Amino acid sequence: MLQKVAARIHPTTWWLLAIVLAVIAGTASALWQTAAIGALSIALILLFRENATWARSLGFYLTLAAAVIVIRILFRMVFSFSSDEDQILFHLPALTLNLGLGEINLFGNVSLRSIMGAVLDGSRLAAIILAVAIANTLANPKKLLKSAPGALYEIATSVSVAINLAPQLIESFNRVRRARSLRGRSKRTGQLAGILIPVLEDTLDRSLLMAASMDARGFGRRSAQSAGELLAARTLGLAGLVLNLVGIFILLSGFNVALALVLLACGLLSAGIGVRITSKRNARTSIGRTARTGLDFLIYLACTLALVINFSGLVGV
Amino acid sequence: MNRQPLISRISIAIAAIASVLMFAWPLLIAATNQNENQIAQAVFIALMPIIIVLTLVEFATGDIGSRQLAILGVMTAINAVVRLLGAGTAGIETAFFLIIIGAYVFRSGFGFILGSTSILVSALLGAGVGPWLPFQMMAAGLVGLAAGTLPRFKNKFGELAILVIYAVVSSFIYGALMTLWNWPFLAGSESSVAYKAGAGLVSNLGRFLNYEIVSGGLLWDAGRAITTSALILLTAPALLATLKRAANRAGFVKQI
Amino acid sequence: MISLKNFTFSYGSSDEPRLSRVNLDISAGEFVLVCGATGSGKSTLLRALVGLVPHFTGGIASGKRTIDGQDFSTAMPHETAHLIGYVNQQPEGAFVADTVLEELAFALEQLGVPRDQMIERVDAALAATGLTELRNRKLVELSGGQQQRVAIAAALSAGQKILILDEPTSALDPTSAHELLEFIHELCRTQNLTAIIAEHRIERLIDLVDSVIIVNNDATVSHGKPAEQLAKFAFVPPLIELAQELRWQPIEMNIESATKRFAAEFKNQPRKIAHLELGKVLLSAKDVVVDYANLRAVDHVSFEARAGEVIAVMGENGSGKTSLLWALQGQNPSLDEIAMVPQQAADLLFLSSLSDELSDSDEVARAKPTSTASLLEQFTSRLDPAIHPRDLSSGQQLALVLAMQLVKNAPVVLLDEPTRGLDYATKKQVASVIRDLAAAGKCIIFASHDVEFVAQTADRVIQLEAGRVIADEPVEQALGWHSDNALASQIAQISKLPGVIALQQVVGNE
Repeated sequence: MLQKVAARIHPTTWWLLAIVLAVIAGTASALWQTAAIGALSIALILLFRENATWARSLGFYLTLAAAVIVIRILFRMVFSFSSDEDQILFHLPALTLNLGLGEINLFGNVSLRSIMGAVLDGSRLAAIILAVAIANTLANPKKLLKSAPGALYEIATSVSVAINLAPQLIESFNRVRRARSLRGRSKRTGQLAGILIPVLEDTLDRSLLMAASMDARGFGRRSAQSAGELLAARTLGLAGLVLNLVGIFILLSGFNVALALVLLACGLLSAGIGVRITSKRNARTSIGRTARTGLDFLIYLACTLALVINFSGLVGV
Repeated sequence: MNRQPLISRISIAIAAIASVLMFAWPLLIAATNQNENQIAQAVFIALMPIIIVLTLVEFATGDIGSRQLAILGVMTAINAVVRLLGAGTAGIETAFFLIIIGAYVFRSGFGFILGSTSILVSALLGAGVGPWLPFQMMAAGLVGLAAGTLPRFKNKFGELAILVIYAVVSSFIYGALMTLWNWPFLAGSESSVAYKAGAGLVSNLGRFLNYEIVSGGLLWDAGRAITTSALILLTAPALLATLKRAANRAGFVKQI
Repeated sequence: MISLKNFTFSYGSSDEPRLSRVNLDISAGEFVLVCGATGSGKSTLLRALVGLVPHFTGGIASGKRTIDGQDFSTAMPHETAHLIGYVNQQPEGAFVADTVLEELAFALEQLGVPRDQMIERVDAALAATGLTELRNRKLVELSGGQQQRVAIAAALSAGQKILILDEPTSALDPTSAHELLEFIHELCRTQNLTAIIAEHRIERLIDLVDSVIIVNNDATVSHGKPAEQLAKFAFVPPLIELAQELRWQPIEMNIESATKRFAAEFKNQPRKIAHLELGKVLLSAKDVVVDYANLRAVDHVSFEARAGEVIAVMGENGSGKTSLLWALQGQNPSLDEIAMVPQQAADLLFLSSLSDELSDSDEVARAKPTSTASLLEQFTSRLDPAIHPRDLSSGQQLALVLAMQLVKNAPVVLLDEPTRGLDYATKKQVASVIRDLAAAGKCIIFASHDVEFVAQTADRVIQLEAGRVIADEPVEQALGWHSDNALASQIAQISKLPGVIALQQVVGNE
């Protein structure tokens, strides 16, 4: 039942949700916030995941998230010393190293506050990892590639060709390795090149055939686009990137975070319009494309709200 | 694909600068407020994938034909498989030699796309999609982008030498970029190997190098440099011949 | 419908033209066979019709190409995608999607057909090709014949009126090949489709086609009625060769009429096939079993092979021929004992020039320098030593790998599908090489679909079905004429004489 709902949700929606949750997790300042995002992510994955290969990696992400927290605590114990006022848990012999690049303080007192800080820091990355896991386990990568913007259609096709090709390649490797043994050991080229070259040659030949057949079936058709439109799209793209760059500078200088965020948003808008114009040259249709439904827009609304609340709290508006 | 218009080149350059800033922010950030550091970090996680998309669009609106795409698809697939075979073992990185050789033959645009799609496909096939993915894609894309600008040599020895030198340099740069990405997450902001907001580039660079040394990051990078250059030495002579043959067949005069 | 006027093409301005002053005019609903020797430019001609030449091959082209009266001389293939459907030599390698439905929709998506119309058209194309039940199946699960049909359906899904096929039956067993060609013939008749097919195994088609295009070795092209065209063509199947040898005027185009004429006119005594005296047992297989994950590919196969014997392993696709050969090779992996040429011979080639491959082969075999090169010269004309091995034709690659394997001088030689994609003249060369090896006391075992090649070459035929031996008998019996023998050779079917399977038994110097 829920799986059917999940299949109707647009793959890009899962990605947007994942990125928004990751951003919120990254700005979280209390353990309960990161824990809540982590729990929400796990719950979403368990509720909505389908039985497909890409959906079976939750265990991997959980292990990774736990490992991140553990590594963070170890780092804090090794590299950080606590001040005297803290509640000291235990002592380790203090060491100071100097590699000529400034002093490194190792071990020393380990306080409860520093361990708790490490847990919070670690849980932040752990929550981000789990949030991204939503996208990876719930969005069908092939559907995602199909909903790439028209401007990226060619590259997306090439990526999906690569995904389809990979299993065949492993077969080719095995076939060539077997055939290789018939020839006897050559002194000219290493074993690796002796296998890699035939596989590469063979796959390249096949892919050129494939490209020919795809082109003969209409791949590469573009509707005519005026030079003016193309120039407009490129200019908008450039303007967007410039705005982004300035936004990043302002963000890093600490001058005004709110201004930086506004600049970044404007930059994205401008670049987005540019991409939209370039995408128009594609008159393609798609048989498998999932349309966005009300559910998707509901999720977009929720994401926008969450972001606004999150950042207005942080920036102090 | 090599005939990018000027405006597009400027856009790509700006995207490259922006992404380097998004890697190196802990070294540069002036804000001392913990909140602002976190905002920067979180915003960059969302911004990096968008910058990648914009860069790819710039290359895609250039002159990219079905044949280049076919070669791109094949090399991406081989790279992803080869990366999966070598993934996980300490420092062994098997994806870079193909990115470098491919970019050297087919130039920068191809190199950027090949670098980023190889990482993407291997992640989708099992090496793990995570918040680090866009950053890895961008770093590998930049490795390919720069490899495409390496000078061309007529003699085979010169070719091999420049590729190996570049392999070593780019392995360490890629490693440094990715360590920069996880630095604030793993080292926090309070220890003597962590970044210190507002401390200035020189002081933070020292801290970063200390972190690279004590966290073993440099060893990992050395492993990558050794495997990549060894693979280039082993395969480049044959691979270059094969790819140049494909490049020749793919690009020719047409006239009716 | 589609025409070329004064079309000339070469790879470089100084190179020999690959197509020279071609003039063709093919009308709507015509079913056309394109034939020519290996490497003569059949594929090049088809690609020129599709527009892939020169855009995908590089090179310089001149002349005019029109479709339905419209000039498309400089158009890229995707600009004519709504008019021409094209299926290349290995359609299974050119699939872009996962499922039948998506594969058929691909061209429609590119052409921007709205979604509801798209589904209608895909279903119509599926119905027309009899694939409706396979609509949602994965492409990898289909048999070779089904995949070919899907490729054809996908090439026609946008209502294209011209279908161009490059060697559509080279990977199919005789039954699937026959069904596929009948089906295309049917489309031409009922839907007024124009079909242009390149094919080495002319015998599979001559009966069905309206006209024949011959691509000559000097890059010129002629187009005409089948009988007239084939009477002067050198690379023909035994049926036509028989007619040429017996100087029949006009030549007979199908087995039935040839049978009648043969019965009326042939009065000589047919010769027996010359078998060699067999030597000692060189290879013995006992209860060979090969298992894959959920499939038994080879099921308790036992036989013995002797010096001077040539054994053909026959059977449908997937009957276990290849697995059996690899298992025999694996029984004794020493390269001094068994030499093997795999199906994709080019898998063994990885150096960047022919001369490197040849001298490396001498070193590996610890043979005298140029041993491999002199062996190679027995099989092919002299080749440029600087050429990249991948630029050789498939026949030349096979010859090279064969030479590399034979130079090790192993007593047993295994060959997997040695005639894939070869024309009749090259097949004859391969056959005579195999006979020479047998005469030198070696034992040769090869897997093949190719009845006519087996008839010329083998002493004994082992037939496999689902991994089991269903027959192990002399070649005269396996390919000879008796009612409903699907493997009967053309000469057997025409002569209807016991033990007569090959052309040299009924014609030649008395």
